[in-house]
Amino acid sequence: MLNYDVIVIGGGAGGMAAAIESDKTGAKTLLIERDDKLGGILNQCIHNGFGLHYFCEELTGPEYANKFEKKLAKTKVDVMLNTFVKKIDGKNITIVNENGCQVVTAKSIVIAMGCREKTAGSINLAGTRPVGIYTAGQVQRMVNLYGKMVGKRVVIVGSGDIGLIMARRLTFEGAKVLMVAEIMSFTSGLSRNVQQCIKDFNIPLLFNTSITRVVGTDRVEGVYYAPVDEKYNICGREKYIKCDCVILSVGLTPETSIIENLKLNPVTNGAFVNEYRELIDEKGVFMCGNNLHVHDLVDNVSIEGEIAGHNAGLNALGKLKHGKAYNVKFGDGIRYVLPSIVFGGKNEEVTINFRVGYKIVKKFIVAYVNGKLVNKKYCMSLNPGEMQSISINKDFIDGDIEVKIVDGGFLGMGV
Amino acid sequence: MIYDYAIIGGGVVGSAILNKLTRLGKKCILFEKSDDVANGTSKANTGLIHAGFDAHEGTLKARLNVEGNKLFPKLCKELFVPFKQNGAIVVGTDLEKIKNLYARGTKNGVSNMQILDQPTLKQLLPNLNDKLTVGLLAKSAGIVSPYLFTIALAEESVLNGSKVVLNYEVKRAQFTGTHFRITNNIEEFDAFWIINATGAQYNSIAKLLHSETYPIKYRIGEYYLLDSLVSPITKYSVFPLPTATSKGVVITPTIDGNILIGPNATDISDYSTATSVSGLNEVKEKAKEIFSNIPFNKNIRNFAGVRSIVGEDFIIEKSKRVQNVINIAGICSPGLTSSPAIANYVAFDLLGLKNKEKEMKRRTPIETIRDKTPEQINAMIKKDKNFGKIICRCECVSLAEIIQAIKSPLKPTSVDAIKRRTRAGMGRCQGNFCMAKVMETFDKEKNVSFDNVAKENPQSKIIIGEIKG
Repeated sequence: MLNYDVIVIGGGAGGMAAAIESDKTGAKTLLIERDDKLGGILNQCIHNGFGLHYFCEELTGPEYANKFEKKLAKTKVDVMLNTFVKKIDGKNITIVNENGCQVVTAKSIVIAMGCREKTAGSINLAGTRPVGIYTAGQVQRMVNLYGKMVGKRVVIVGSGDIGLIMARRLTFEGAKVLMVAEIMSFTSGLSRNVQQCIKDFNIPLLFNTSITRVVGTDRVEGVYYAPVDEKYNICGREKYIKCDCVILSVGLTPETSIIENLKLNPVTNGAFVNEYRELIDEKGVFMCGNNLHVHDLVDNVSIEGEIAGHNAGLNALGKLKHGKAYNVKFGDGIRYVLPSIVFGGKNEEVTINFRVGYKIVKKFIVAYVNGKLVNKKYCMSLNPGEMQSISINKDFIDGDIEVKIVDGGFLGMGV
Repeated sequence: MIYDYAIIGGGVVGSAILNKLTRLGKKCILFEKSDDVANGTSKANTGLIHAGFDAHEGTLKARLNVEGNKLFPKLCKELFVPFKQNGAIVVGTDLEKIKNLYARGTKNGVSNMQILDQPTLKQLLPNLNDKLTVGLLAKSAGIVSPYLFTIALAEESVLNGSKVVLNYEVKRAQFTGTHFRITNNIEEFDAFWIINATGAQYNSIAKLLHSETYPIKYRIGEYYLLDSLVSPITKYSVFPLPTATSKGVVITPTIDGNILIGPNATDISDYSTATSVSGLNEVKEKAKEIFSNIPFNKNIRNFAGVRSIVGEDFIIEKSKRVQNVINIAGICSPGLTSSPAIANYVAFDLLGLKNKEKEMKRRTPIETIRDKTPEQINAMIKKDKNFGKIICRCECVSLAEIIQAIKSPLKPTSVDAIKRRTRAGMGRCQGNFCMAKVMETFDKEKNVSFDNVAKENPQSKIIIGEIKG
């Protein structure tokens, strides 16, 4: 049976970063990728805006991926392309490619398989099911990698980033984007995308609007849409708009289906991990990137991949130390924190990622340990669509951590 | 060449009749107006093989349901179609109504039924709502893929000399005195008999044939299909007590490992498979009355099918108005279960055929890797390396399987036809990942160019043009 110190599953942004860091620890590393090239979803993201933080450059997706591929090429990492992972059973991985099917095993595995798009079924899109209903990423791939158009008059459902990007992309290619219908009262996308893809192109962005049904027998002919309240119940008159294409940008979800019996956080649909990005329930199994929780910036995916890969390597070499474990809790208004467990230590910082559940304005994000304030961060404005972080000096961690949102009247005294 | 029998309509009933008549050595042709068989109600139902306690005594429905149920296991084995007799349980609070169903089942000839008390019910259905206290278990009930069953019936027929013509909409059928000349205004065929098995479109073909028309009521049924990863809520197909209009919203495992929930029963004036917000909510609420913890957030697809209803029973008859025409109308539930028995009824009771069944060349099912061990998959890849190239990640479908489907006897040309044969596109990403790859495969196999691949009918091409750039 083929055996490695570390096996990384997924050769996108998270996986490449993990494999590079694993190799640096001296661990014998294998990277498995199902596509015929590395890069993952970056390969179809031809717009720029990647790498502003990590490289201090504004790169396209393929350019960002290419920089990591070059770094990877300088390592001793074995890469298997066109290889599909059929099953993960503990540390045994069943792989399939045109050379055969075999089970490979490792002391640590890093799972970086990314996420998938939510579909018409996820939102119970009613009406008929003709040709012309796609997810935004599916259209992105068709346009950017195949050079083909799938619609001329487009309605976009959901103001997630991919939908916003595709609104602009399709307009460039001559389609008419009639509107973006967002069911909530705010967008889940990045503010810069709303500006650069929607406002700059005068595309109507309708909040509190639901697409109630699709019409069309062979092809989409139009959609009905209506205003909805905060419980998503229809609260106004239905209107009709003619279109030939409905594009769903209604969210992403970590692609965790391959891992048997994985306990998932219902908020992220991803696993629970400690600060090493190691599964709480299974030592030696690490996850990173969108496979763990959906990110907004690939730069953060790379950083997270590095954490996972580095610690996976140390774990394989018997060098990973787990100090005293403390829980990370969170207060009202915060949707989730990651990691859920941090370890005691000295002279180092640990960064907690989190998302707020609604837009907050002029508040403090604070972190407490045993009732002591250990860090605070002032936020003019914070959106659910933008992942945030707060760092804590481990010298102060001698108990469970709580991350909270507090008012501006707060003056830094213990409560 | 004059065919013995022309069947109009490639649903499960038309395909079952085609298969039966082929086995009886007859020269047969089937016309289907869409791009594939099973494209109407036959692909959009619950896939249940009913035991037969629900149909009213003395009806054709009751007789053919029970006969059909008995024929299914052997037929599916011959056709290489997966079938499982998982059993059905009707649940409720009214013991009298359960006893009535039991009595009706007995009268209809259903065996292997058992009335369940609450402790037994809880044992068999641990997730059941506590307020449901009595049940009826019917062990002869089963689950099958209704479209795969239809495809298999048609494929076996084609392999044994019959003809299936897809994308053929019958426009005229003129009786010459001895036989019918059938045309779609492009190509003509001749046949001695016509069997109208067009389902929802029965009346338009009946008018064309000058045979009897019937008042068809359309009743839509909407569904939820949950991710196969969801823990099985039930091993059995679970029903509420039936009402006058329908068997009710069922919660059932499918043969492919999903959980299927539905259908409701709403009368509609025009034929349409559109789901509605209110209809889907109705299905959800009714299902929650049986199992309160159904994870609807793991829904991967909603769809709907339309029942065609004529009065209280099936219409399966020789036309009295025109000679050599068989009318088949109003095949609503238990249509799927009854289909092999309907075929027998047409062949023996109506047409009076007495031929012995000939030895049939069997179809070759598509070899799948998803259910094999690493050793088995390895051997398959050594034989054909296309088994090692994965097209559909969610359902683990290899390129070899897509190619086998493209080359299969009916020569399918649409993405959805490949989906029904291989499951590529039926998983949780709903074809997001694999649709373009299936299109590429059509192109590579030189069946259809990438730009011309349709989702279903030729009018549903996926690509509408090139990018400007």
